Amino acid sequence: MPYHKVPHWTPDNGLEVLTFGLGGETFALEAGIVREILDMMPVTMVPGADALAASVINFRGRIVPLADLRGSFGMEAHAATADSRIIVIELDMDGAPILIGLTADRVDEVTVLHAGDAEEAPVIGMRWPREHVRCLVRRGGDVVVLPDLAALFSRLTARGGEPVSVH
Amino acid sequence: MTASILTVDDSASLRMAIRIALTGAGYTVTEAADGAEGLAKATETRFDLIVTDLNMPNMDGLEMIRALRQQPSQAGVPIIFLTTESDDSMKAQAKAAGATGWLVKPFQPEQLIRVAQKVLAR
Amino acid sequence: MSGPGSGEDPTAAFRIEAGELLEQVEQGLLDLEHRLDDMNLVNAVFRGLHTLKGSGAMFGFDALAAFTHHCESAFDRVRKGDVRATPELVSVILSAADHMRALVDGDAPAAHGQAILDRLAGAVDAAAGGGAPVPAPAPRKQGWALSFRLPPDAMANGTSPLALLDELRELGEATIVATFDKVPTLDDLNPGHCFVGWDCTLIGDISREAIEDVFLFVMDDMEITITPLAVEEAEAEVAATPEHASVTMDAPVAANDTTPRGASANRSQGEHVRVPAERLDELMDRVGELVIAQSRLSQLAGNGHDLSLRSVSEEIERLAGEMRDTMMILRMVPVSTLFGRFRRLIHDLANETGKAIELVTEGETTEVDKTVIERLFDPLVHIIRNSCDHGLEKAADRIAAGKSASGVIRLSAHQAGGEVLITITDDGRGIDVERVRAKAEANGLIQPGQVVSEDELLGLIFHPGFSTAAQVTNLSGRGVGMDVVKRTIESLRGSIDVKSVSGQGSTITLRIPLTLAIIEGLLVRVGEGRYVIPLAAVEECLELSLEEDLRSRGRSIITLRERLVPFLRLRDLFETGTKPDTYQKIVVVGTGAERVGLVVDQIVGNHQTVIKAMSPLHRNVAAFAGATILGDGSVALILDIAQLIALSQPREERRLAAG
Repeated sequence: MPYHKVPHWTPDNGLEVLTFGLGGETFALEAGIVREILDMMPVTMVPGADALAASVINFRGRIVPLADLRGSFGMEAHAATADSRIIVIELDMDGAPILIGLTADRVDEVTVLHAGDAEEAPVIGMRWPREHVRCLVRRGGDVVVLPDLAALFSRLTARGGEPVSVH
Repeated sequence: MTASILTVDDSASLRMAIRIALTGAGYTVTEAADGAEGLAKATETRFDLIVTDLNMPNMDGLEMIRALRQQPSQAGVPIIFLTTESDDSMKAQAKAAGATGWLVKPFQPEQLIRVAQKVLAR
Repeated sequence: MSGPGSGEDPTAAFRIEAGELLEQVEQGLLDLEHRLDDMNLVNAVFRGLHTLKGSGAMFGFDALAAFTHHCESAFDRVRKGDVRATPELVSVILSAADHMRALVDGDAPAAHGQAILDRLAGAVDAAAGGGAPVPAPAPRKQGWALSFRLPPDAMANGTSPLALLDELRELGEATIVATFDKVPTLDDLNPGHCFVGWDCTLIGDISREAIEDVFLFVMDDMEITITPLAVEEAEAEVAATPEHASVTMDAPVAANDTTPRGASANRSQGEHVRVPAERLDELMDRVGELVIAQSRLSQLAGNGHDLSLRSVSEEIERLAGEMRDTMMILRMVPVSTLFGRFRRLIHDLANETGKAIELVTEGETTEVDKTVIERLFDPLVHIIRNSCDHGLEKAADRIAAGKSASGVIRLSAHQAGGEVLITITDDGRGIDVERVRAKAEANGLIQPGQVVSEDELLGLIFHPGFSTAAQVTNLSGRGVGMDVVKRTIESLRGSIDVKSVSGQGSTITLRIPLTLAIIEGLLVRVGEGRYVIPLAAVEECLELSLEEDLRSRGRSIITLRERLVPFLRLRDLFETGTKPDTYQKIVVVGTGAERVGLVVDQIVGNHQTVIKAMSPLHRNVAAFAGATILGDGSVALILDIAQLIALSQPREERRLAAG
């Protein structure tokens, strides 16, 4: 159970994460949900899909959606660079594990965050919606964002209405 | 020494069922998946009883029984064939080919054991 | 060849087998319900129970064997004419079959079994009531005089006379005397032949069958007389009942045997190999990967100039294609496996509703991919429940309407091109269009008084907002609505259509592709993206010149051989932001009577497509039925034709994502 709404700090208040950069911010994901880090590869756009997951990639013969968190955090889209990577994670959605690729401007390191450094996202003064963030963790002079992936993606898996059938 | 039985059937699950029933009753069971393999194994080793299906690829049961009865060493070896209720003509043909007896599919393990005990000379 | 693995687990094999046996028993019982005096059916049910009991005991399912034994005994009495087959008896054994299923699965409440057995005892007593009491076994203490001579070749063919004599001795007190009157002179004596005869007196409580059983294998070819030592009545009784029916009976597998599947399964038992379904799926995945690798290979070979590489590539292409076809065939199962399951449902529905309902099935040998079969079950249950509950009238109402007292549900299947059509027809009162309208208005699906055609109104029953709350009963109110049915059918890349005639009944037609795993596709380019159109849906490809394109700007209808066909510019729909090619193409696709022209930039060619599911994150993107991986490793999306046709309808235009 590597991913939880509230991060599961270990008894000594640590949390092993992978940190990565996106749009000038540093994000972190539980290391346990990371399946693989890929170089950029050709992507296929899915017309009509939500901007959060607008394309798909071929990950070892499986069709995996490629998600870009920039839009959800009010950042501008920009083209991939030599440092860009795709982080493939496994997330439980509706009780079933699914693979999702996340774009990153760069992947930093696997490190341990400490519960004592964590704080809730402030109600005001943030550039992005509060519900997209689980918590912020101070590290050195920097702040690491733990995004709420389950909340972000559940919007896409919710059953939408279907067009009326007309015969 | 326990009696050794050769079971010839192209259906693995049926061979499995036969093996389980007969080994459970204390017999030693050797398997063959078709008539050709059955003939080869029976020629190599004399079995105390052969239980064979009739409808099989690579030499059917009838051919195998005929071929076995041609061999002097196989005289008197009981051969039981498996048949279905609907094919009486097969029954007649198999008997003419030299089979000892038959067992109608589907059969119960006890029936198989009973038949084996019946034809195995004590 | 017998390696380790689940295939070697006889218990697992038994579970599968037991499921099939119970299915056959159930089918036999359901037939028997209508033809209570059909002894072939009685025998078939008996045999099924008998086998289940025996195999169950063999694989350690003792509770199952013990429980089944009671049912088998009851049917044995029916078989022997002691007990009549009655509807109650059939019904008890049907519920017993359910319990047996639970016993196979190991989750049966014991009390439940006892309740069934109590009911069974009651049913048997009632069915035997009035009739002759079970005759007590006649005293047969006397015994038998035998005189027999074996066929000459018996010994060569493996019959041991000594073993036979031993068997006789085991039956009772035997006095055996050999007779040598037929032994030839030494010159004529074949040492391999048996010329000796025997006379034997057997004393004890022995049935004739027991004696005949000793000579079972040689009986037909030998000389034998069996005479009772005294009292004729004993003989008369035993002669009447062939005890060893399962071994010696020449059962007439009659022409009216309505379970051809069971019969053929029985006949070909020696030819079939059972494979767990997961292994078939694994193999399918491998074949799918092979097809992808092969198309990559042929692309490489096509780019280069190495002729021998090209010829190997073509060879592999052929083999991969054949393998794929064979794989498809392996996965096909007749719809009878599906339809058969509904006979029980109809039986239960008839009981629950108090209506007389008859199920008629057609085209049961039509074969469909097993995954499709599995996923069709729930939708069909729902449709049939609906028909029985809302469609069919009570007997009195039917008679008043000039119909037969019992309602008919007709399930039929037939193949048309790459699709299978399954129709569910009832001859009930039809769908009340005004009620549908009222409900749709109440739920805000349409405006009060809005002009809507009857077909459109009927289509509304599939709308998620069309709640059936007002007519929920214990039958069709369970769980799902017709919207879920529609969704399931569409997830199979199929479509659903409903027709209804007031007072005469309704028909629901499902169109389902034969297979889900691999399709032939037409690879097209739209802007910079490549897409696959299922070839089965493609009717023709036309050129759309730039002038024509400009002329038709703002319109979305073209004239195709004097017919108006709506069309969609996929470049606009997919918002590619690219300029159209000079020579665009229109790919006309259709399902059923509806067609739409899809304007694409380029037709790349035919492409064999292994369908991969879209991620749940793209659940609400309506236009695509799946995706596939092209030879160069990139992903192409597969167009969902039914959805695009819906999108091409005027009021749905430009509404790509429903979410």
